[in-house]
Amino acid sequence: DLVATFRFCSRGFASSFSSDTALPPNLRLPSNLVDPDRLKRPPPSEDSSLPLIRKCDAALPAHLSPVRTWVDTLESKDSEPLGLTELHPDVFAVTPRLDILHAVETWQRNYKRISHASTKVRSEVRGGGRKPWNQKGSGRARHGSIRSPLWRGGGVSHGPRGPKSYYYMLPMKVRVQGLKVALSSKMAQQYLHVVDSLNIPTPDSQYLLELIRSRHWGESVLLVDVSEEFPENILQATENLKTVNLIPAIGLNVHSMLKHEAVILTLDTVRFLEEKLLWHDERYTFLYPLKLPYSDFP
Amino acid sequence: MSFPKKPGGKALDVLQNLPRITLTNLRPEPGARKNEKRRGRGQHGGNRSGRGHKGERQRGTRPRLGFEGGQTPFYLRIPKYGFNEGHSRRPQYQPLTLKRLQYLIDLGRVDPTQPIDLTQLINARGLTIQPLKRDYGVQLVDEGSDIFVAKINIEVQRATEGAIAAIERNGGVITNSFYDPISLGILIKPVPFFMRGQPIPKRMLPGEDMVPYYMSAENRGYLADPEEIQQARRALAQKYGYVLPDISKDELCHMLAMRKDVRQIFFGLSPGWVINMPEKKILKPTDQKLLQYYSS
Repeated sequence: DLVATFRFCSRGFASSFSSDTALPPNLRLPSNLVDPDRLKRPPPSEDSSLPLIRKCDAALPAHLSPVRTWVDTLESKDSEPLGLTELHPDVFAVTPRLDILHAVETWQRNYKRISHASTKVRSEVRGGGRKPWNQKGSGRARHGSIRSPLWRGGGVSHGPRGPKSYYYMLPMKVRVQGLKVALSSKMAQQYLHVVDSLNIPTPDSQYLLELIRSRHWGESVLLVDVSEEFPENILQATENLKTVNLIPAIGLNVHSMLKHEAVILTLDTVRFLEEKLLWHDERYTFLYPLKLPYSDFP
Repeated sequence: MSFPKKPGGKALDVLQNLPRITLTNLRPEPGARKNEKRRGRGQHGGNRSGRGHKGERQRGTRPRLGFEGGQTPFYLRIPKYGFNEGHSRRPQYQPLTLKRLQYLIDLGRVDPTQPIDLTQLINARGLTIQPLKRDYGVQLVDEGSDIFVAKINIEVQRATEGAIAAIERNGGVITNSFYDPISLGILIKPVPFFMRGQPIPKRMLPGEDMVPYYMSAENRGYLADPEEIQQARRALAQKYGYVLPDISKDELCHMLAMRKDVRQIFFGLSPGWVINMPEKKILKPTDQKLLQYYSS
């Protein structure tokens, strides 16, 4: 990707700017910077022979067309894609709002944070009630207590005070949009893959690693399924792997998606995500907390 | 656009050639985060720290706001008069224009084939009522009366004459009824009230100063005489110059004639009943004293 960027930059800008911004001739880039096989897999064209496995459930607006992707299998290492899927553009092809991604990512990091850093003020430090020496006559500077912030061993004037919580909530729709933007950017940069289900023939971690390497998915992979119960094989295979992780679809979040290089969704997960994320586009505002029953909401 | 546009636009195409978005690549929009002003640090925030030169300004001992150096200040020269006296006890009514009502009916958020109540308007998110801010309900305003074309059975708390005329011209029925603040809170958010498990209270009658308003036929009050209301309808039709359509010959006449009882808050439910939301059951009182109290 970096090589492609440099090529893109030099192609685009060498003509308009001076030669300072062109690549220096003695630049040596390492050869393992970018996996060259990863760059080959263009999105399916209009006239491909594979069957369309899934169409979008929700009604598409007239001016948008669905996004098409390959559907793979995890059953065998060298299998061809099973078919094509249509993904809803309002979930998988929204405008890539990187500022929303940043906002949601910082929120995810900080809303759970409680900093326990605490210092003692001059009144809390042990001692220091008596005036050390007379105001006048001793020749030394005037002081009122030995624990004032000027003294060594004295209290801190403006230090951290006790457990402090950094809790705040972003609006629900911003968090939903963050998920949509993350999915769309993964899809646009070809790091999102759709699989029919997470069934593996063997509970072997090596099989998974070789499959990922042969398909050039990346170093770290996030596998997402709808239910919280996964097949035994994949549970065992991913148990001892640090870079390959399993999560249920309700646990999908922006931080995990950005941390892992590739995101693998099953067809059921795609259906679940589309249903849940599109609902927020056309809902009324809430009159009372969601925990109380609503008659016209799911 | 008739032809399907590429979803996401050109930004997604640009993204394809850019490096991978990772946790290290995120940053806020340029200009979104501005550094806060810090006084007493360095050349710009320090020195006098924005306080000026000597005097009360720098030393922070300026007199209170409104002080005029000893001269009787303006806010004490002017005599008091009760402009805002009792403002927190005055009933307020959230305005609802006929234009907005027509908009809601056209979009299908409000069903004109059922009696329109304050609950229906709030469920359609047509307006917001805050009973804790001395809101006593909704008032119908006649802006948009020339566009209004809908035959509805509507119940509000206040209505201007033009609004009444516009609704009756289209063959609808309008009633002004009173809700005391507790019943209003229940009416607006019925589900949180039912979750409390309390019996539905009876709606209180209006206070002394509001009784003449709700008993007069010109305002279509709910305590007024039906015959007087008919006369008032004819008089209004004559005043505004339209032919009064006959409601009794309408197919929805039964729905249009539906009205709440004086002590009733909801259409199908009587005061005194307890609703069990999780098990979807209604419990009615059987004790003689309770029945007497709730039906008084």
